[in-house]
Amino acid sequence: MMARALSRLAPLLAVLGLLAIWQAGSLMLNTESFPTAIQAVRAVPSILGDQESLIHILDSLRRMAIAFAAALLFAIPLGLMMGRSRLVASFFNPLLMITYPVPKAALMPIIMLWLGVGDLAKMLVIFLGVSLPVIYHSFQGARAVEEKMLWSGAAMGLSAPQRMVRIVLPAALPEILTGCRTGLVLALITMVTSEMIARQSGAGNILFNALDMGQYDTVYAMIIIIGAMGIGLDAAFERLRSRLVRWSEPGFDIPLSFA
Amino acid sequence: MNARALTSDILLGVIPIALAIAVWQGISSFGYAPVTLLPPPGMVFSRLVQQLFTSSFQHEIASTLFRLFAGFSIAVILGVGIGLAAAASPAVNAVVRPIVRVLAPLPKVALYPALLLLLGFGHESKITLVAADALFPILLSTYYGASMVEQKLIWSAMAAGTPRRQILFKVVLPAAVPSILTGCRIGLVISCIVVFLAEMISSTDGLGHMLVKAARTFQAVDMFVPLITISLLGLILNGLLQGLRSYLLRGFPEV
Amino acid sequence: MKVLPSDPAPARGPASAMIEIDHVSQTFRTSGRQAHLALSDISLTIEDGAFVSILGPSGCGKSTLLYIVGGFVSPTEGEARVKGRAITGPGPDRGPVFQEFALFPWKTVLGNVMYGPRQQGVKSAEAEAQSRRLIEMVGLKGFENFYPKELSGGMKQRVALARTLAYHPAVLLMDEPFGALDAHTRTRLQNDLLNIWERDRKTVLFVTHSVDEAVFLSDKVVVMTRAPGRIKQIVDIELPRPRRRAELLLDPRYQKYVVEIERMIDDTSEDGLQP
Ligand SMILES: Nc1ncnc2c1ncn2[C@@H]1O[C@H](COP(=O)(O)OP(=O)(O)OP(=O)(O)O)[C@@H](O)[C@H]1O
Ligand SMILES: [Mg+2]
Repeated sequence: MMARALSRLAPLLAVLGLLAIWQAGSLMLNTESFPTAIQAVRAVPSILGDQESLIHILDSLRRMAIAFAAALLFAIPLGLMMGRSRLVASFFNPLLMITYPVPKAALMPIIMLWLGVGDLAKMLVIFLGVSLPVIYHSFQGARAVEEKMLWSGAAMGLSAPQRMVRIVLPAALPEILTGCRTGLVLALITMVTSEMIARQSGAGNILFNALDMGQYDTVYAMIIIIGAMGIGLDAAFERLRSRLVRWSEPGFDIPLSFA
Repeated sequence: MNARALTSDILLGVIPIALAIAVWQGISSFGYAPVTLLPPPGMVFSRLVQQLFTSSFQHEIASTLFRLFAGFSIAVILGVGIGLAAAASPAVNAVVRPIVRVLAPLPKVALYPALLLLLGFGHESKITLVAADALFPILLSTYYGASMVEQKLIWSAMAAGTPRRQILFKVVLPAAVPSILTGCRIGLVISCIVVFLAEMISSTDGLGHMLVKAARTFQAVDMFVPLITISLLGLILNGLLQGLRSYLLRGFPEV
Repeated sequence: MKVLPSDPAPARGPASAMIEIDHVSQTFRTSGRQAHLALSDISLTIEDGAFVSILGPSGCGKSTLLYIVGGFVSPTEGEARVKGRAITGPGPDRGPVFQEFALFPWKTVLGNVMYGPRQQGVKSAEAEAQSRRLIEMVGLKGFENFYPKELSGGMKQRVALARTLAYHPAVLLMDEPFGALDAHTRTRLQNDLLNIWERDRKTVLFVTHSVDEAVFLSDKVVVMTRAPGRIKQIVDIELPRPRRRAELLLDPRYQKYVVEIERMIDDTSEDGLQP
């Protein structure tokens, strides 16, 4: 199908279109601090080819993966319990409300004060950043589970914990996965931002060192690399998600990402 | 929910916050952590209150709020506009959809160095970053709300003689308001977070800059003050938006 | 069957037809990319001032037919006309009343009812006065400033009716308007609708699943076959007007109509066993 193929290719075309706009814009402005898209893309292999940078970037990703997994293990059960019990919900809600507007990456200086600049500090910040949206979505998902489904479960002799695992979890899964998708992009963002703030190592640090040293090609190449990671992780997760919850209606097919 | 249950809910919610503050107090007063690392809550809050009356602190808050509002407003205008257009016109949709698919999961902070280079270190780069980050949730929920409008509402208005091009503003926009406001709420939280981060990464004023300045000199008390301030600001702004929401949505059924 | 010699409107075609449905067919493309025939070659003429009901099994295309007359859906074949002019889109000469009420949730009762007149360019004060009168007529005086969510189902349907009546459509298109209501409210609204109709003599096209309701209200009952919908039979209801429910229920002629039409629908159901 022609139209089908076109809609598949559309994001790719969008990327090319955006790069073309960039190219045209930089040619028009013609300043040193805004290299053309082609120059920036050319600089990508040299960064990824450099052993040290590559190790830093991979290290960042490893920390991110561990913190992301830990956050899911903590946030999903908490969110589900909040969704099914008003007591638990009203216990935690205000606490979450006051922590929501606090930028987690901004805790980096304080956490560094306590834990030093090791992996633990970096992972703790990512953990905090990922947890909130996952809690929120699991909460919403569990709250929307139909009471009648739980009643029929109880009538079939399922105990309360069994109902949680066998009914609430699968029913809330689409919403939970939406939370995980947001959380995944958020993990990347928190990682980059905390590295920008801590300026120790990692992708965010490479980016700002290049900025300080006036290596503009590297700055833009790093932006492309980080951007590609975001888009790539999201696309990969979306494939997984659509497999896991094939039964559910497609809702938002675009994640909401923020810092 | 009756008033009694509401009060008990609020009381219940205060417990963990009080508990956290008590643990914090306990750690510092039993000497588990030196004051330079974890100042006791009393010290932090009295510092906050004392700062509130200094003009320099008020200036920091004002510049943070200015960037926050400017960026958030741009995001609302663009997000609602593009979201409506994408819902109303298949041609716009065909263009916007793939672009949004690519840009929404892109970590916008990574663009910040480029914004600094292009727009300079002043307000513009920070406002642009806030707008770029808050834009997508607002755009997406506007689009979602507008494309979910009950067909029969539109038909009812058309039968009453509403011309096609007015349907967008007379029916689709008001019907999408609940969804738009949900997007705005997410966008507002994001704006708080992003403006603070941008100020931390590079700025000469604002709450984020205060934190960085305190961190450089290891003033733990002064590091807590801007964090608590942004949390309170977020809470207040969210409350205001909630008020606007319950006014605008007084006719809509609860969700 | 024409009971009421309505006002001497300029006759178009035989006996001043208000709505003409002329060999209309409707095909839908389903998501499996198959063609699905919903309506097959429907022809029907509805005279000015007539009250016509459509009965038929679920999915036979009653709503679709109504939407075509409303101008919301354009037929894949054939043509529908109102007062002799081809229908190309919705217009204030044809007012729909939906089963789901479809009230504007962001407007009060008064705001909903005023919407049509304001859209027609009636001055605000004038529109408000008219709307208040209509709201009183449908029995909702005192509820002008309520929001739809604060009303019961029956009250919402009254508002929906008032909102449509407010822009004086010549034709009312009602799609199971009382389907979601309890039996008691339903009866009251039927009586109210008849009173309004007897006063204004609008043309009404009324879709329902209730044979009683159709016979009680109508001049003509159109019975449709199972999908793809065709007209199986048209029954003229020759019962005197004004109709009183209590008298009618005891009237053997009424009972005969009901039984006869119910039997027709049963047959239709069996037809459906061979799609
Ligand atoms: N937009 C659409 N796309 C595809 N098929 C449709 C669409 N609208 C209606 N149909 C199909 O057309 C047929 C007739 O639908 P319609 O809603 O007119 O039936 P109905 O007689 O009003 O049924 P009911 O009594 O249940 O309201 C159905 O088989 C339905 O599946
Ligand atoms: Mg129907």
